[in-house]
Amino acid sequence: MNLTDGKESLSHLIELLTAGDCGQVVREIQDLLAKGVLRETIIVDGIEKSLELLDAKCTVAEFNLLEIMLVGRAAMGAMKEIYPHDAASQPDRGAVVIATLEGDVHDIGKNIVKMILSWKGYRVVDCGKDCPLKLLLDAVEKEKPLAVFISGLITTVIPLVCQVKEALAARGLDDITVVAGGAALKQLSASQLRVDYVAEDAFSSLRFLESRAGAPT
Amino acid sequence: MTGMQRLEAALHLGVGSRVPVVPQVFGFTAKLCGTPLTEYLASGDTLARCQLQTREHFGYDAVFGVMDVSVETEAVGSKLCFRDNHYPSVTSYAITQAADLKRLCLPDPSRAGRMPEILRALGIMRSVLADQVPVVGLVLGPLTLATQLMGMEKALYLAIDEPDQFTEILEFASQVTTLFGRAQLRAGAHLMMIFDPASTPAVVPPHFFREFELPLITRVFAEFKREGSLANWLHIAGPVEPILPYYGPAGADIANIDYQVEPDVALRQLPGICINGNLKSSSFIFSSPEEIRDTSLALMGAFQDRGGFILSSGCEIPPESKPGNVGALVSAAGVRGRLRG
Repeated sequence: MNLTDGKESLSHLIELLTAGDCGQVVREIQDLLAKGVLRETIIVDGIEKSLELLDAKCTVAEFNLLEIMLVGRAAMGAMKEIYPHDAASQPDRGAVVIATLEGDVHDIGKNIVKMILSWKGYRVVDCGKDCPLKLLLDAVEKEKPLAVFISGLITTVIPLVCQVKEALAARGLDDITVVAGGAALKQLSASQLRVDYVAEDAFSSLRFLESRAGAPT
Repeated sequence: MTGMQRLEAALHLGVGSRVPVVPQVFGFTAKLCGTPLTEYLASGDTLARCQLQTREHFGYDAVFGVMDVSVETEAVGSKLCFRDNHYPSVTSYAITQAADLKRLCLPDPSRAGRMPEILRALGIMRSVLADQVPVVGLVLGPLTLATQLMGMEKALYLAIDEPDQFTEILEFASQVTTLFGRAQLRAGAHLMMIFDPASTPAVVPPHFFREFELPLITRVFAEFKREGSLANWLHIAGPVEPILPYYGPAGADIANIDYQVEPDVALRQLPGICINGNLKSSSFIFSSPEEIRDTSLALMGAFQDRGGFILSSGCEIPPESKPGNVGALVSAAGVRGRLRG
């Protein structure tokens, strides 16, 4: 297959991904692999391109969870098709520990961030929802991640979020970056939450991480 | 003028003796009264006492018969987890697959879960306040209830993958909403609020709201009016500007706006509808009373020419808020709260 054909095929893949059509995306990946298009090409010029387009589209006015969920599901389906048996062969750009803290069981925002970070090659250690602070700290101690991401939909978790940096420091982990996001937490500033960054949406959390990690977005 | 008269003036886009002020306080009232949140969430008597005492303390213009957002899903069959100082969360959803809908029954509000406690609280508050102060009932919007019946992620994927099945679940949810709301009106609520955070454009795109949710909200509000609701109050938090044009056709008389909606935008999009909002919820925890007062004064200034405004937060005032900040909101509207010793 020549380069032009590959790009045309990838533009179709990007269209399908952007539409969030998981079934069609999987069939398209199968077709591309059968035609001999490299996995890396599909990921970089197809899946990551769709991620960039979604990022650009998700302005404050247009951002909605449903659309991101659909594109995310389609992209995860694509990745499973590309790496069906050996997830470890995906690039590993470092670990990120993510959680929704104790008292908050809303994990949809966390799951979306997890998907996006996974796309970009980060190994996401998911501490789940309703996560006690100790469990989060244990995971950070074990994984030595690039950053800790905390998602919060309801205001009752705010006091716990405010404790994270101090609790990390008490364990000698004061160099770990802490990022907060979600409907409740994004109403506040980083200094109010005592974290390093408050993300407006999933993509801004990614951009912040990439800027800290020194990697291109 | 009474709180009721001020509300009625606002509903007619008029100007009463002052701007009505209605802090959206639920669990906060328990905290202020030194009552464990778990007791507030379990007992209609306790809810009514906390709501009445807190209103008496600050002197604002309405009370709410509200516990939390899990009352309906619990009544249908979901299992909840209650913990100290937290609202409950769902541990086991009533619907784990679309086929579960066939075995579910509509709840009887006089018997199911904590619904009777809500009805009891509304009756007590109506009896104490008579028609001087509005008593507000609350139900979840059908979409939000659907997400509470089966989990948000599952519900939204179902909407895309199996829209017919999802529509059936929404229809069931709207029947629960209608039943519970009508029961609240009969029990003592003067007016009903539909609280529908899942319908925000931050979660679903506007066309999704228009196609799935708008027809149901319209029907539910019509039922509430037939049952005697003084007004229909639509509360969708977040950046709702793209769906504001649907509020009028839905039958909303009061539109809640969150901090993400500018007053001039709301005024332009909702020319004939009373508006409430829109102080940031978290500001009641982190801001100073002076900041709350200044923001409140600016807000009232934005609506001064048109009228039809209720000073309020954009969403719930969190239980951990500073009481002085609620006092500052109320004082800004010109109220002298009678402080209890």
